[in-house]
Amino acid sequence: MLHTKIIDTKDSKLSIQKAENFISSQDYGASIFFTGTVRNQNNDQIVTGITYDSHDELVIKSFEEIYDEANQKLNIKDKSVFIEHAKGYLTLGETSIVIAVACKHRDEAYILSRYIIEEIKKRSPIWKKEHYNNKESAWLKGNPILHEKN
Amino acid sequence: MKVQIELFGASRDFSNQNSLHLDLDQNSTIKDVRKKLIDYLDNNFNGNENYKKIVKSSVFCSEDNNIVSDNYKITKNEKIAIIPPIGGG
Repeated sequence: MLHTKIIDTKDSKLSIQKAENFISSQDYGASIFFTGTVRNQNNDQIVTGITYDSHDELVIKSFEEIYDEANQKLNIKDKSVFIEHAKGYLTLGETSIVIAVACKHRDEAYILSRYIIEEIKKRSPIWKKEHYNNKESAWLKGNPILHEKN
Repeated sequence: MKVQIELFGASRDFSNQNSLHLDLDQNSTIKDVRKKLIDYLDNNFNGNENYKKIVKSSVFCSEDNNIVSDNYKITKNEKIAIIPPIGGG
């Protein structure tokens, strides 16, 4: 089972409770919740907030691909996964991403949770613009998406 | 032909709109889009090198949401998205 969504911060907030409701099942003995939050410093600058940008359709597609790959690459077939990412402005301490996974056993739950966040970092088209206490702001450099050039 | 380039991430600084409209020859490819964008930056941002680096390190996404190569042929009135280096989470 998979739930994915981009949450516009103008409309609502990300919620652990919603994730728990989705993955909760007597079929699974292990659940892991991962959240990413906006922290107050980066690269020696004082951060006051982050604006997230997203290519929504490609992001959702990447989440679905990552979920499907867990079958083949990790051999974790029986699982429930909840992924939501914020889009828009977030202030310090607010949640930018929630990843919740439920599996039969803890080993596969830990592996799956880590796999999902690392793959999102590598390939989901999401961008951060940091806002600083001196009123300036900057897009973070990020990592290029790799694509074979024919 | 007119092609709409949707802006994301750092490329949003290229315009105060959400997209740019480029005039391209028939049978143009993504490679031609890169060239046109560099020309646009030369003309509108005095060849801002940081902006040019963004174009060079980006990939592009077709209207049906596939990352496409530089040889991808653009169809008339297609909407293409520029995907600069990413970093969510």
